[in-house]
Amino acid sequence: MILLQLIVDGLQLGALYALMAVGFAIIFGSTRVFHYAHGTTYILVGYLFYWLSDRLGVPWWLAAVLAAAAAVVFGVAIDRFVYRPIQRDEGSFFTVFVASFGVGVVAENLVVIFFGASYVSISTPLSRVHDIGGGVVISWLGIASVVIALALFAFLNWFLGRTDVGVSLRALSENPELIRGFGLNPRKLSQYAFAIGSLMVAPAALVATCVTGLTPSAGHRVVLISIAASIIGGIGSLRGAGFGGLILGLAESLAVWKFSTGWSEAVSFIILFLFILARPSGLFGMRARV
Amino acid sequence: MQGYILNLLILVAISGILATSLNFIIGYAGIFSMAHAAFFGVAAYAGALVALHVSTSLLVTIPIAMVVCAALSLVISLPSLRVRGDYFVVASLGLQMIAFTVFSEWKDVTGGIGGLTGVPVATLFGFRLASLESFFGVSLICLALTAFVIFVLVHTSFGRSLKAIRDNEVAAASFGKNPVIIKTIAVAISTAFCGVAGVLYAFHISFVNPESFTVDQSVFIMSMIIIGGAGTVFGPILGALIIHLLPAGLTYLTFLPARDLASLQQIIYGAAMVLLMIYWPSGLIGRANIKDTWGK
Repeated sequence: MILLQLIVDGLQLGALYALMAVGFAIIFGSTRVFHYAHGTTYILVGYLFYWLSDRLGVPWWLAAVLAAAAAVVFGVAIDRFVYRPIQRDEGSFFTVFVASFGVGVVAENLVVIFFGASYVSISTPLSRVHDIGGGVVISWLGIASVVIALALFAFLNWFLGRTDVGVSLRALSENPELIRGFGLNPRKLSQYAFAIGSLMVAPAALVATCVTGLTPSAGHRVVLISIAASIIGGIGSLRGAGFGGLILGLAESLAVWKFSTGWSEAVSFIILFLFILARPSGLFGMRARV
Repeated sequence: MQGYILNLLILVAISGILATSLNFIIGYAGIFSMAHAAFFGVAAYAGALVALHVSTSLLVTIPIAMVVCAALSLVISLPSLRVRGDYFVVASLGLQMIAFTVFSEWKDVTGGIGGLTGVPVATLFGFRLASLESFFGVSLICLALTAFVIFVLVHTSFGRSLKAIRDNEVAAASFGKNPVIIKTIAVAISTAFCGVAGVLYAFHISFVNPESFTVDQSVFIMSMIIIGGAGTVFGPILGALIIHLLPAGLTYLTFLPARDLASLQQIIYGAAMVLLMIYWPSGLIGRANIKDTWGK
């Protein structure tokens, strides 16, 4: 029975991880920017939501919408004001990565100054657990996280497959030179990638803040999980990143069955190492390019 | 007052070793490691354990820590260097996270969150390095040796192969170089020198706990290199000096709230990283053209 409970918990966690990972994969896949500040987007959404709804008393739905909008603005602003000036003079992979990391460090410590370094959490009636039979419990938020993830993936599937911008974004990840040949602007497209990628992480941040609380340093873990899931799923494959997130969530939850909770965080990275060792191209990826 | 300055200088020397050793792979090999604090920690724990149970001689502890670090580095470099460059960043970040878990959870060996306390005074040729002056002297010699060895390495055929691989891996491979082996050796050398710093740190502070070896510490080391200038001999050391003097300087600005000093420091490093990458990616004394240093 405890196993069933752990699987249920793992699915909820996996849905959140999948959202983070797919957001990262959209950005990394189409722009090749190693967006370390993806984790920063996550903590900004979480803390903004906490500040608006818990401190200022804004209705939760309005706070959630505002926080999600802030995520989009933040993602696009970083692309425009940090990455683009660097890329203009032939910025290397690492130059962009270091700048992204720097943004993360600044934001994390601003949050520490304003909110303190310890946990914040929001209690809502939705996070109360209900028995769904046989001693297995689930909260409305847990159900919501799975539903939101499924809905957003359906949206993404439609967006990337059926809309002009979506198709161009996929083309951008395949061949940026060709995009120019078709008269499309890769710069503009990369803004869309950052907007959508950052939007995907917002629901994960909102639900996770309510379920487990938030610390300023959570961003490192979020981005690590996102990258790990992208690699496990196969870089360049959004479906893979989603599956990778689900696998990591399940694995982390099931690890509690055999090991003490302190170790469960290490499980994701051990799985990541096994994948890099045995199957670096991931589950759905093409051959890893050197 | 003199004690304060000597303490600061010892930390600068230790950080200088860390930055110099990390610069060997970041600056010359184009390999970006986020796990330097993990290796620093492994070396500090290894040094403390040997000092507590076997011998306090630096000639015993340092070589053991160097070997342990180099051996551990194979765990990330062998799987990840076979594939793309960005996999190493991820693998090293993963190792950094696992290492912190191990430091705080493997309580029988590491003492958990409390860490290992009461590391005895270091000895060298039977002489106890009890005074700050003597320990500073030894640290400075270690820094000089590290910088010297890495300077020589960079100018040997090994160093040239490394730079060739950094600039164009395919071309280097077609000239008969084996990029995987060369990069793996480079990472092992870098982490071995990181081991020197770890042992010195354990003896200097006389206790080790997981707090000192977080991902933030990795950032700290990285920002020294980036601020000073990657791919130069003195850049990382200058960076270490600046990064240690900055907090010392901040404490003189009495209008700043003491509670936020640590965060303010980090904000300054972070902002410096962003601004330098945009306007001056080669660092304070780096070569003007970043493409020479960090290739593609």
